[in-house]
Amino acid sequence: MKLTELFDKGEFVITGEVGPVKGCLRSTAGSKLPQCAQEAELVRNVVHAVNVTDNQSAVMRLGSLAASVKLKERGFEPIYQMTCRDRNRIALQSDLLSACSLGIDNVLCLTGDYTSLGDHKTAKSVFDIDSVQLLKIAKGLNEGHDMMGNALTQSTNLALGAVVNPNFEPLDLQLLKMEKKIEAGAQFFQTQAVYDSAVFEKMVKKTEKFGVPIQYGVVIIKSPQMGKFMNENVSGITVPAWIIEEMGKVAKQDRKKKAIEITAKLIREIKPMVQGIHFMPLGWADIVPEIMKAVSSAA
Amino acid sequence: MIGTTPKPFEEITDALKGYDKIAVIGCDGCAKVCMTGGSDQVAEMAEKLKKNGKSVLFAMSPERTCYVGKTKTSLDPQLDKLKEADALLVLGCGGAVQITRQVLENYGLTIPVKVGLDSVGHMDTLIMGELAIEQCQECGECILNETGGICPVTKCAKSLLNGPCGGAENGKCEVDSKRDCAWILIYNRMAALGELDKLRRFMEPKDYSKMAKPRRLNIKERKVE
Ligand code: SF4
Ligand code: SF4
Repeated sequence: MKLTELFDKGEFVITGEVGPVKGCLRSTAGSKLPQCAQEAELVRNVVHAVNVTDNQSAVMRLGSLAASVKLKERGFEPIYQMTCRDRNRIALQSDLLSACSLGIDNVLCLTGDYTSLGDHKTAKSVFDIDSVQLLKIAKGLNEGHDMMGNALTQSTNLALGAVVNPNFEPLDLQLLKMEKKIEAGAQFFQTQAVYDSAVFEKMVKKTEKFGVPIQYGVVIIKSPQMGKFMNENVSGITVPAWIIEEMGKVAKQDRKKKAIEITAKLIREIKPMVQGIHFMPLGWADIVPEIMKAVSSAA
Repeated sequence: MIGTTPKPFEEITDALKGYDKIAVIGCDGCAKVCMTGGSDQVAEMAEKLKKNGKSVLFAMSPERTCYVGKTKTSLDPQLDKLKEADALLVLGCGGAVQITRQVLENYGLTIPVKVGLDSVGHMDTLIMGELAIEQCQECGECILNETGGICPVTKCAKSLLNGPCGGAENGKCEVDSKRDCAWILIYNRMAALGELDKLRRFMEPKDYSKMAKPRRLNIKERKVE
């Protein structure tokens, strides 16, 4: 099912991110459920779809397409993430055809983290095309032709998603790119993690007129250390001092409870401005259902 | 210019193992500017090799070692010594090494030509004797007219053509926080020029066939073939 159908119906769309395992997924007798499937199971009842990351942070893992297909077999709706870092335009188009052939309905088109951030620092970065171009190319495949104009025997039928970072300064530059993505074919957006509703509001005021659904990106802060780490090492994200303080105040065993409280508070503030939420739980998928419960019980 | 850095001396002596009589050829073009292969560095290298037990036949720096004519003119008077050489050590870019080899081949001499530098790209000097940076990778289809004279192909780590990735922070690139995000530079420049609207245009994927190696430049007809 395409995410765009849900947005069109006016559904508030919830998605959650899972990262494929570093290893093969060939099931053998008695093999236990891989981590990514376990994480997906934890959010099964609260999300409409599951984002499957593409060698996230440039760390080599199981392919996003294989993991997406495996999750689909288990009854999840995958959003196949595709980055421009590792494949040229031939491989990307071919993988989009493969994805559609294997039953994938949703693709999220990204630039991709730079190679030097990952675990294969000596690899050659590809970046043959950028995310705007990838969206345009994917739209072309939906319309029955490749980027060179050659006809396809059968078109793809993929809902096309993209990302936007509301924290970006200057914001207008980020939104200029967002507009280009929409013109190129993006049908929905997921945002980078935001911890300040004022930052979100500033963006939404300018993007309302675009008329595309936006999902609020949520990265759960698990500890004060993680908050500080993100401020120092993850570019494009700012974790405010109050969250770091609040997480620091509670005992270790109470951190999940606190994280539920903080995240639910942020979601309640931002929910009226968006058409959905995108969770990036980074190992704490188990509290996503409770966060959503806390959001609705207070509503 | 072509940027170069010196190889570790051990790597050089390793490459010269088994060769006794050495000629050292530098380059008074780019390698001189990089202070890696000008006359001074060539003289230093000759001394080091001598201390290392090699006999150095001669050491010199042609005006531009990547130019076959200039290299030949410099080497012509040394032809007798060249014939004695067991190996040549070139303190120049990869092009200088290959031109030197070609000049030797034209003399009918089959002598190993070794390289003493690592070539690190087309560099523009910002501060003489201190700093040069990479700003153009000769893509064969210059788009500087569209981007305010700042090259995203080279100065953006991901060569993005349609705007920044989401990772810049405080104006710096996500890949290296010491480097400015090329797209923020482009944005500010276009804003200052009052031409921000031009950035709204969709930039087509680059024609990388224009960078397909090795390119040949027909200088007479002023075109790549
Ligand atoms: S676009 Fe960039 S890489 Fe290409 S020729 Fe111009 S400056 Fe050089
Ligand atoms: S931060 Fe800027 S320069 Fe660095 S990769 Fe992203 S867009 Fe390119």
